[in-house]
Amino acid sequence: MKEKTAIQELVKGIWDENPVLVQLLGLCPTLAVTSSAENGLAMGLAATFVLLCSSFLVSMFRKMIPGQVRIAAYIVIIATFVTIADRFLAAFVPDISKSLGPFIPLIIVNCMILGRQEAFASKNGIGRSLLDAMGMGLGFTFTLLVLSSIREILGAGTWFGMRIMWESFAEWGVMSQAPGAFITLGCLIAGANWINARRKA
Amino acid sequence: MNLLVIFIGAALINNFVLQQFLGICPFVGVSKKVDSSFSMGMATTFVMVISAMVTWLIYNLILVPFELQILQYVAFILVIASLVQFVEMFIKKVSKPLYDALGIFLPLITTNCAILGLALTAVLKEYNFMETLIYGVGAGIGFTLALVIMAGIREELELVDVPKSFQGAAITMIIAGSLALAFMGFAGII
Amino acid sequence: MNNTAKIIIVLTLLTVISGAVLAVLDSYTKPRIEAYQNQLKNAAVAEVLPQNVKVESTEKEDFTYYTATKAGEVVAYAFQVSGGGYQSELVVMVCVTPDFSEIIATKVISQVETPGLGTKIENDPTNKEHPTWFMDQFKGLKINPTITYVKNAKPSKDTEIQAITGATISSAAIVDILNKQIKTAKAIIGE
Repeated sequence: MKEKTAIQELVKGIWDENPVLVQLLGLCPTLAVTSSAENGLAMGLAATFVLLCSSFLVSMFRKMIPGQVRIAAYIVIIATFVTIADRFLAAFVPDISKSLGPFIPLIIVNCMILGRQEAFASKNGIGRSLLDAMGMGLGFTFTLLVLSSIREILGAGTWFGMRIMWESFAEWGVMSQAPGAFITLGCLIAGANWINARRKA
Repeated sequence: MNLLVIFIGAALINNFVLQQFLGICPFVGVSKKVDSSFSMGMATTFVMVISAMVTWLIYNLILVPFELQILQYVAFILVIASLVQFVEMFIKKVSKPLYDALGIFLPLITTNCAILGLALTAVLKEYNFMETLIYGVGAGIGFTLALVIMAGIREELELVDVPKSFQGAAITMIIAGSLALAFMGFAGII
Repeated sequence: MNNTAKIIIVLTLLTVISGAVLAVLDSYTKPRIEAYQNQLKNAAVAEVLPQNVKVESTEKEDFTYYTATKAGEVVAYAFQVSGGGYQSELVVMVCVTPDFSEIIATKVISQVETPGLGTKIENDPTNKEHPTWFMDQFKGLKINPTITYVKNAKPSKDTEIQAITGATISSAAIVDILNKQIKTAKAIIGE
């Protein structure tokens, strides 16, 4: 397999190996916090922060972490950064922190983050690991933004809190709630599959 | 708070999968067959209940008295990871076929957000020990229920022409949406 | 042996460093978070108390309450009540008349109930003209000797409010918390 260039490492996470739409990782927060664009963006950035920091450390110390306990080690590193992110959000943007609720700590078990440590950061140099993390984080954030924008615009008529839809637009309440989340994500995944199938043809 | 209300709340009204969006990864990954879904559900419920109890003890008997709440996430996830290790070894010894059937999804229970989510929520709601226990059982049963229903539907889906783009996760999401819609009806029970 | 030693050393080091980092984080962020909570509380107090009053805060038996006076006469008491809601801790600032017979106003300080259902106790976007209708029901509600709620019907008594459809537990929790803790507050404030 050809070694990827630096740019390719970065870009692959955005579409080809998009953590949500292609790899189907991190679905829980993707569904849960995307009822508003602001929350989707915040979650994406928080997860990217944790991913970058964790990948950095795991990659830096990859030769020192014994194989048998690597998962436990990754988890402690990830949990520490999540606690940092959680506390920072609570201290500086408390309203967002409250609406994201328990999903910030749940970044710990976001399979995307643990998955990248296991699949990439533990086997690659710091530079590449950071690029990989950045790409995955961007892909994740991008997907959350798209999903939450659709849900907020159709479900509440606003985007980032600003009224977008015309005054008489009757909001599709279902979009703000569980069924809307599932169905929109399903369509996005199908859309991604369709686009990728055509590209390969 | 009435234990029965907690139970029904966790299992139906605030179903962990269909309302709270926890445990989606195994929900999509394991729900192809009814029996493996049921086994997964039971294994998860077991880990959920025990980890809920252990994390409750650690939080209330160690973290709070010593003002170490900042260590909550690290402590909880380590407990869960260790528990899953034990459960894995246990199942391997007791029933090898079951172990093989569950395959890689057994260690993946660690990253099942439903387990950590349950532990964190029980602490957040300041439940006592008994309430935490019932909450865990209710959540696990609700999780199993969602998985089994989805598996039942997906088994039927095998016989139908699903458009290529929608096969797999996409159609599962859309069905989940309909199930979520149906489960929202439970909100009127209480 | 070497490998086991390595495992123990790495894990211990990792946990110790993690603990140290988090301890620093805690000392840095805790004061800010507490300051924010206080700010919310003070804003809520200002909102539930009547206008143009002199406010004095008292702490008695581990309980903080605010006395509002106008021209030397006590016109209201305000205090924070809290308890378990459906899936989160509900914190409410309540203001009552000096004889504890009537609720003047309430304000939800914090809740993380089910979005779209329980969250309606604070803000109901489906009711465009009146999104805070639930809490506003408590304005002028008589406590005689307790307040009650009714489902799917308009309140028929002046001690009754209407619960939110599909969020009965959250609604009932508010009523329950208010009943219990107004009683406790009454005993402590000593009137």
